[in-house]
Amino acid sequence: MMNKKGYLALSATALLLLAACGNGEDNGAASEGDDFEGITDDPTELTAWMWDPNFNVAAFEMAEERFQENNPDFSLNIVENSQADVIQRLNTSLSSGVETGLPNIVLIEDYRAPSFLTAYEGSFYSLGDYFETSDFADYKIAAGTHNDNVYNVPFDTGVTGLFVRTDYLEEAGYSLDDLQDITWEEYIEIGKSVYEQTGVSWITNDNGDLGLMRIMMHSSGVWWTDEEDGVTPFIEGNEPLRLAFENYKEMVDAGIVNIHNDWDQFIQTFNNGDVVTVPTGNWINASIMQAEDQAGNWGVAPIPRQSVEGSVNASNLGGSSIYVLNVEGNELAAEFLAATFGSDAEFYQDLLVDIGAMGAFAPASDGEAFEVEVDFYGGQQIFQDLAQWTQEIPEVAFGQRTYEIEDILSVALQDFLGGADLDEVLQNAQSQAELAM
Amino acid sequence: MKNQETMKKVFMYSFLILTSVMFFFPFYFLIISITNPSIDITRGRLLPGTHFIENFRTMIETSLLSRAVINSTIVSFGQTILSIFVSSLAGYGFEVHKSRGKEIVYNMVLLSMMIPFAALMVPLFRLFGTISEVAPIFGIDTLFGVILPYVSTAFLIFFFRQNTKMFPKELLEAGRIDGLSELGLFLKIYMPTMKTTYAAAGIVTFMGAWNNFLWPLVILQSPRNFTVPLVISAMGSGYLIDFGAVMIAIFFTTIPTAIIFFVLQKHFVAGMVGSIK
Repeated sequence: MMNKKGYLALSATALLLLAACGNGEDNGAASEGDDFEGITDDPTELTAWMWDPNFNVAAFEMAEERFQENNPDFSLNIVENSQADVIQRLNTSLSSGVETGLPNIVLIEDYRAPSFLTAYEGSFYSLGDYFETSDFADYKIAAGTHNDNVYNVPFDTGVTGLFVRTDYLEEAGYSLDDLQDITWEEYIEIGKSVYEQTGVSWITNDNGDLGLMRIMMHSSGVWWTDEEDGVTPFIEGNEPLRLAFENYKEMVDAGIVNIHNDWDQFIQTFNNGDVVTVPTGNWINASIMQAEDQAGNWGVAPIPRQSVEGSVNASNLGGSSIYVLNVEGNELAAEFLAATFGSDAEFYQDLLVDIGAMGAFAPASDGEAFEVEVDFYGGQQIFQDLAQWTQEIPEVAFGQRTYEIEDILSVALQDFLGGADLDEVLQNAQSQAELAM
Repeated sequence: MKNQETMKKVFMYSFLILTSVMFFFPFYFLIISITNPSIDITRGRLLPGTHFIENFRTMIETSLLSRAVINSTIVSFGQTILSIFVSSLAGYGFEVHKSRGKEIVYNMVLLSMMIPFAALMVPLFRLFGTISEVAPIFGIDTLFGVILPYVSTAFLIFFFRQNTKMFPKELLEAGRIDGLSELGLFLKIYMPTMKTTYAAAGIVTFMGAWNNFLWPLVILQSPRNFTVPLVISAMGSGYLIDFGAVMIAIFFTTIPTAIIFFVLQKHFVAGMVGSIK
């Protein structure tokens, strides 16, 4: 004989719960129904998955606005997650074969794109016919090309520069001119001298992150994997990779490297003025310019090249492209991208001015925004320089295993720095990477 | 002799103070950071600043945190109430009632604890894809979808069964004689007696639900339905991160779990050691 109070309390709890959960559904009820099957029901609203609120999301909001001028019904629903989370969700959705909730548009880092295009063949929509692919730097288009079909509209370039503290340089008797078109060996020599005179570290690096090696190798046009199949590891006998390892060890042994462990510490190092040069992607610009007290003390030189044939003073680190999923709404998504990121030179000017985003769209680099003299960099036209270097970046086949092989190589690098024989280290890494295939 | 005692105390207290500082430092840094601009946070400034209001504004403007707090609250309370009710029924049943094959079933339940969630995710997502077609309100991109896989968990069943071992079965006999139904025995005798166990299970489940990341990430698709960890994770990713806003978000979402823990702390400890009044 359960008393009434007990039942009442129980059913009240249950009701409350139902109501609470139901509430979650009802809120924004107008859009709930459409949203849920938004992709099929409402062809004027598209969903996009991406990361970075100040950069990618801001860029897409601007693109949405521009596209709306001629397509007033159009709207873009941007879902913001971290990059790792976008990958996790995309992988789960695509590998379970459930189309419910898949976005129309997704941003993928160039290094990761080949593995997605291979693993989920047929899940992406070919975009090559929608825009002029030759307007973009070759290496960006190559990252999204699979079986001769172009699946990406390139977005931000990861063109690298050698960001330098000119005041430290001058203190040691050098100027920005001494860093023009040099090799990594020359870079190290100058570094030793500057370090001796100023006591400030020449470069900062995270030993677990092979970004610096990637920069070096990309300038010579090779990658961790075979350029034909994109899977076979190319570690043993990879001359630029070998040289990258050797050069880095020389820097470490000379004591001119500051070691940081994560992204915050990286930013902290140059914001605090604890390092002279930052060789990295142009996207670091916003973080460098955060330290307003250092205005006028920075400059950008071309990235050093490797002492191997074919290496150039231009490279890339990071950067991503836009992909369209092969679900309903794909044609609209393609048209939207073609009209904005794919062809609109003026839009790229706005992107640079408003959010500091540099695209890989060649026709845009003649615009006014690129010619601006940046006071923070002593009046240097850094965007024009970077845009010019973008077009010089060698084409590289990123392959499907960039980060997987890097996990193996970062251990190898530690061994090598610890004094192990380089041939042996690379041989081991090669066989480990082959085993993992 | 007395000197030795003092030395021991000095040593003990300095050790305790040192460990307290170590544990307290992250909180201190969090509290300091919410008042500093992003640049000072990356520079490791340890003094309070004047940027609190700006940080707060950025956080409100750029993230859906308030919506996410509501979602997380619904999910956490919903999951806690449902799962401790269902799992305690199971744990009670396993211990109190006799049936053939009971132990085999129980061992199978325990075995399911060995399978990592990552391995279950894809099949589970497929299942919810199918559920979405039949009953969309329980499917993908709903808060029910977040709760459902956790309504019955092997750990809680195990936890309740273990604690039920100490439950005096005579109480049930007495209840039966007084004419209580089986459900009545559970609701009116078992549940009130096991209050501390419920409190401990409640805290563990609530914290787990509040901090749960992987499953909500996969199942929730619209920002409107996001829970707190998803929003914070999204804020901390990008070329230029506003650490001030991130710190504020973390600060405001640590408070509820802290409050719940402190309120229920007494029961929590009692429940963990399994006391019955």
